[in-house]
Amino acid sequence: MSAHISIPMYQRAVPQRYRLTGKLCKSCGKINFPPKAVCKYCLQGASFEDVRLSGRGAVYSYTVIAGGGAPPEFETEARCKGSYPVLIVELEEGPRVITQMVNPPEEGIAIGMSVQAVFRKIYEEEGVIRYGFKFSPA
Amino acid sequence: MENVAIIGAGQTKYGDFPGMGVKELFAEAYLEMLQSVDRGLEQQRIGAAYIGSLSAGSGFQLGQLAPLLMGHVGLPHVNAVRIENACASGGYALYNAACAVASGKFDMVLAAGVEKMRDVSSNKGRYWLGVSGDTEYERLAGSTFAGIYALMASRYMHEYGLKREHLSMVAAKNHCHAVANPKAQFRKEITIEQAMQGVPVAHPFNVWDCSPTSDGAAVVLLCNAKIAKEFTNKPVYLKGFGAASDYLAIHDRDSMTRLLATRRAATEAYKQAGVGPEDINFAEVHDCFTIAEILAYGDLGFAEEGLAQYLLEEGFTRADGKLPVNASGGLKAKGHPIGATGCGMASEVFKQLRDEAQEPSRQIKNARYALSHNVGGSGGTAAVFIYQRGDA
Repeated sequence: MSAHISIPMYQRAVPQRYRLTGKLCKSCGKINFPPKAVCKYCLQGASFEDVRLSGRGAVYSYTVIAGGGAPPEFETEARCKGSYPVLIVELEEGPRVITQMVNPPEEGIAIGMSVQAVFRKIYEEEGVIRYGFKFSPA
Repeated sequence: MENVAIIGAGQTKYGDFPGMGVKELFAEAYLEMLQSVDRGLEQQRIGAAYIGSLSAGSGFQLGQLAPLLMGHVGLPHVNAVRIENACASGGYALYNAACAVASGKFDMVLAAGVEKMRDVSSNKGRYWLGVSGDTEYERLAGSTFAGIYALMASRYMHEYGLKREHLSMVAAKNHCHAVANPKAQFRKEITIEQAMQGVPVAHPFNVWDCSPTSDGAAVVLLCNAKIAKEFTNKPVYLKGFGAASDYLAIHDRDSMTRLLATRRAATEAYKQAGVGPEDINFAEVHDCFTIAEILAYGDLGFAEEGLAQYLLEEGFTRADGKLPVNASGGLKAKGHPIGATGCGMASEVFKQLRDEAQEPSRQIKNARYALSHNVGGSGGTAAVFIYQRGDA
């Protein structure tokens, strides 16, 4: 039993998951990612412009999910890899994102290290492979 | 606004009860509450009931859980509703019950919580536990609640020099406290060294940093303070109650080393009660993961943010310290039946402030004010309560 994200629901977030499309607030100029109906910075603006984020950022915090602690939809991944890292990345444009890390450095992950978004398989549900972003050392 | 008193409280032991479902758990806590009302209670005086539960019996009763439970204890016609805010469901049941009495609409209201977590497969359990955070992004990054709190712990370590050992001090302290508590799930002492060596869950956490899954229920009876002495000479006054929200997703928040929901809820509760953190004699705080208790010290004003770990080093929050925190064992060792937790804390405080802790060895002496703190998930919601003993 896994967290249920329907195919249409996943599809609606494709601009964010495939292309890191953020929403630039026309009132204050800051970028919301993921999108909000009202800007989370000025709490006023409700009109936005699409901007594609660079995918460049730095590790703000990290954890390593151990095999037994993975949610069911990531169980196979955890079994194959033993464990997998999850990061909070602060993007150079400002927003923070939560993401898995691929190719973690052998010497360990450090807060502040540079990372870059890459396009990867996330998981599978309802027979459909779901793609999205993960981050790799830059 | 009317003043609010607590005149009865009860709870099941927390743990693994294959022979009991949500109805049986709720009934046991309810009957213990009834017995605790010193001069007895005509049950028909209860005007409303707020019952906290996340999974409503692991999903078996998605809708209308509250009338099901009330019908099971002879109160089929009481105005009853289920309250849900993940791990803070019980706290929000208590908060809503307090508001209902304070408004003057009802003289007597039940606040309760119940959760049945132990008769589901571990697969389904992990499903349930991970969909009260931000499902779209946090969950699809492969994270669970342990992972989200682990991210907070890593950042706290980075910013303030918190050490792995400090996390284990929380676990060892709360396990030590639970030994004397007959209601606790794990009545087993562990050393700091043992707590540092558990099976990894999410770096920096091992299994000793995490609260367990538990079955359990708790019930609290609130009334207008004007009528409290009809029922007991020892009411406990609910002097302040606050609740607040924050962005559900961790990546939407400015800081990962504080919970703004707790801070706002605490500010509201302290202001209403007319007291400050320095007046609190003991506290039950939401230690779902060890870092959560350390965050709570800062957010509730017991320490400056970033210095909370030194309270642990000094033994300040041990049962024999200046400010006992989680003398019950906390979520960590008393157990964490999600929807019940917030009301279970109130039940513990009620008994302590009436000098009725079941084991005399665990009675906190000379306490006048107490605080309880209940968090939803990783801090999307929080409720804080301030209690004053009523026989002084």
